[in-house]
Amino acid sequence: MLFGKDRKATKPDAIIQQLMRIVGQKEVLYLQEDLISYECDGYTMSKGMPKAVVFVNNTKQVSDVVKYLNKQGIPYIARGAGTGLSGGATPLGGEVLISLVRMKKMLHLDLENRKAVVEPGYINLKLTQSISDKGYYYAPDPSSQYACTIGGNVAENSGGAHCLKYGVTTNHILGLEVVLPTGEIIELGEDGVPDRPGYDLLGLLTGSEGTLGIVTKITVKVLKNPEAKKTVLAYFDDIADASQAVSEIIAAGIIPAALEMMDQIAIEGVESAAYPVGHPRDIAAFLLIEVDGVAAGIEDQIDEILTVCKDNQVREVKVARDEAERGLWWANRKMGFGAMGAISPDYLVQDGVIPRTRLPEVLTKIAEISKKYDLRIANIFHAGDGNLHPLILFDARIPGQSERASSAGSACLKVCADVGGSITGEHGVGIEKSDEMRFIFHDDEIEAQTKIRAVFNPDDRLNPGKLFPQPGRCVEVKQEMSKEGL
Amino acid sequence: MADNKGRLVDLLSKDNVESGAPCETKRLGNYLWDDPPDENKWADCVHCGMCLEACPTYQETGEEQQSPRGRVYLIKAVAEGKIDVNDAFAKPVFDCLDCRACETACPADVQVGGLIEEARGQIRQALPLTGFAGVFSRTVLRGIFPHQNRINTLGGLMRFYQKSGMQQLARKSGVLRIMPTHLKDMEAILPEVGKPVQGRFPDVVPAEGIPKQRVAILTGCIMDVMFSDVNEATIRVLTHNGFEVGLPKRQGCCGALHVHAGERETGKKLAKQNIEAFKEYDKVLVNAAGCGCALQEYPELFKDDPDMLPLAEAFSSKVEDVSKFLYDNDFKRPTAELKTKITYHDACHLAHGQGVRFEPRHILSEIPGVEMVDLPDADRCCGSAGIYNLTHPEMAGKLLDRKIDDIPEQVEMVSMGNPGCMLQIAMGVTKYGRSEKVVHTVQLLDWAYEKEKSATTS
Repeated sequence: MLFGKDRKATKPDAIIQQLMRIVGQKEVLYLQEDLISYECDGYTMSKGMPKAVVFVNNTKQVSDVVKYLNKQGIPYIARGAGTGLSGGATPLGGEVLISLVRMKKMLHLDLENRKAVVEPGYINLKLTQSISDKGYYYAPDPSSQYACTIGGNVAENSGGAHCLKYGVTTNHILGLEVVLPTGEIIELGEDGVPDRPGYDLLGLLTGSEGTLGIVTKITVKVLKNPEAKKTVLAYFDDIADASQAVSEIIAAGIIPAALEMMDQIAIEGVESAAYPVGHPRDIAAFLLIEVDGVAAGIEDQIDEILTVCKDNQVREVKVARDEAERGLWWANRKMGFGAMGAISPDYLVQDGVIPRTRLPEVLTKIAEISKKYDLRIANIFHAGDGNLHPLILFDARIPGQSERASSAGSACLKVCADVGGSITGEHGVGIEKSDEMRFIFHDDEIEAQTKIRAVFNPDDRLNPGKLFPQPGRCVEVKQEMSKEGL
Repeated sequence: MADNKGRLVDLLSKDNVESGAPCETKRLGNYLWDDPPDENKWADCVHCGMCLEACPTYQETGEEQQSPRGRVYLIKAVAEGKIDVNDAFAKPVFDCLDCRACETACPADVQVGGLIEEARGQIRQALPLTGFAGVFSRTVLRGIFPHQNRINTLGGLMRFYQKSGMQQLARKSGVLRIMPTHLKDMEAILPEVGKPVQGRFPDVVPAEGIPKQRVAILTGCIMDVMFSDVNEATIRVLTHNGFEVGLPKRQGCCGALHVHAGERETGKKLAKQNIEAFKEYDKVLVNAAGCGCALQEYPELFKDDPDMLPLAEAFSSKVEDVSKFLYDNDFKRPTAELKTKITYHDACHLAHGQGVRFEPRHILSEIPGVEMVDLPDADRCCGSAGIYNLTHPEMAGKLLDRKIDDIPEQVEMVSMGNPGCMLQIAMGVTKYGRSEKVVHTVQLLDWAYEKEKSATTS
């Protein structure tokens, strides 16, 4: 290297050396400086240093690495792009991270049968980009789709703005190749032949948050582009009116492709960031509504949506003039989380699910939580399917704020659980919400699930400590919550 | 105004080049030297990862510490005292191409480029270059670039090398074979060195017809030696459009290479020199994207200098890329036809650095007979990145391969707005035995005007 000396050699230990023998010397990171950026994923409230990062290039390497780590009794975690929002790929400390980002090829494309086979490191958006000229797309569209991997989407059963009509990742997975924690390689789903007898292991693996196996090959459904698409933006002065409009649109029998809501603080964020649309800053909320499908009938649906909005005291409602305007509206929305950086040094995003009709009441409670913990909370909401994302804004440099943010997040989830909802819609449980699993499951129900995990992952060596509460801790959490009166 | 100028002279003569010893200066975690990275820049980063796939070095390696998010995390980790400024920290920070694609992708406008440059400044003070790299850096960055006369002398030597038959001899004799491949490839495409426009043209070149406005152009350091023809074309195009063009004598290298290399003090010296050189002008036009971006970012260099900061801000607001200026000022549409198929490559420091994407494409498409063909992923770095192709030949080579692979087969020319990219892509075209001509956007417009003029005169 012409500029900068070569790094001083720090001798790798025996385990690192053996991993290097399996995958190649350059495919293992082990220096502290190289590892530190792996101490968390998109969820930054919890951090732990991995022992090493191993880059694998094929299924056999994954299997060999897993077998070796098993023999040595070393825990390990599969990692994609690290955009997850619940700490699913974050080490507790000392695990080996198996990075799948270099397995990023499309292996097979079969448009006649509407399917594609990709490696786990394949980027979500790339799939749509690579087939859009042929008139096809891949439906699940998490906001991180610019960077997240399909392998990570399978692990987390990721959703996205357009999941209201088209379903989440699990509805689009036809087959998986999985390396089990024993190192064995199994195929599930047989490349998309429907209705296989036996247990639905495909469904079990999808969304298992990397605790049952490491996915090395994925067969996904691809869809034909809708013939027509229209997008509406509606500004409301009152959140209750906006929520009522959401309920009435669904009640009218329309299933929009997407139905998104953002409140005032969220609007402040996106308008201060990279893709401002020019939303009025004084509205209480806006709805972003998209309908798609066969061209005939789209106009009627749009008319009906406009009528519902007007019946609910909308201040202003408009239909996107062209693709450029529609694109900007979506960029503004999809960059919503990252945009919080423009108005706050840190944020914690929650992922509650509630019955749509309870929205005004839940938002009032969230406002109370915001007041109680003295932290601003923005709300971005997949309103159509009741998936709420309160974004708790804080500054980790100020002592006590991180802890308050964490408690406020937990309190938001409690509210969601109490109105008959759930603690996660699409971001997963990970490290973040494992204790909050108690809000929605009894001990027996959790035990039933950990027993299933034990069948695949008996020593909890694959992604340890994730998804389920550690025995004992749950009691403290419950006490804490009842003390706080939530 | 008079006051301001007095202050300027004062400030410019103030020699604050010496950097203070550790302990005497403001410390930030393990950053022990003056001018540490700016905390507020990483406070904007919420670790979402939207930048990952925009980053060429992440695309190639898949390594988090080789991504913008990872680099920002490392830079922050030093400030938090978690890691030291050492070689392992320096590697990812210096492996960054400084292409700014991450800034386009970032939802929160994190200034990754600024952070990287600030961190490099710390690294170069903590770990001064030794051995060959040190000698090279001192000779070239401090000894040559800041002195235009030395660059011109080198240009003269190169012209001699090319014209005297030495180049032919060197190529035939096989003596070039002892050079590393990437340097050999570069030698093969050295453009014919022309004579600098500085000195050949008057200090002020009059406009054709009634002058609309007075503008200055940055003639650049290497640009005026290696690409004096582009400078000539720029002058002709501007004067043809009714602008009086000033070529201030005392201007110098923009300092981009120095700032990229962590030589921030030399960068500041050059910045002051240019701020002074262009003080009579309200508009400074640049035909080299990297230089234009550097001039626009002078305020970043003086973020901790409350005296210089307003001057740097006032200066940077005058700087504009020549293609954007022509577009905004309703450039004359040429009438002569250039029958050619071309594609356009976005120089990083034009597209990501200055947000100029549409304007050059529009200029090209307004030339009669020019057929534009899209270049896929046009704003992905070609690997030139200042002197990155010299310091990191392997990564630069991979990016060049991808760029050449993307150039549509049917085009005859590839147009762009940055000399570094022009050299790099020309190298790729030669290496792969392709025939596309590599041109600057302004050159095409110039050819169209010239054709039009010769048609009228004949």
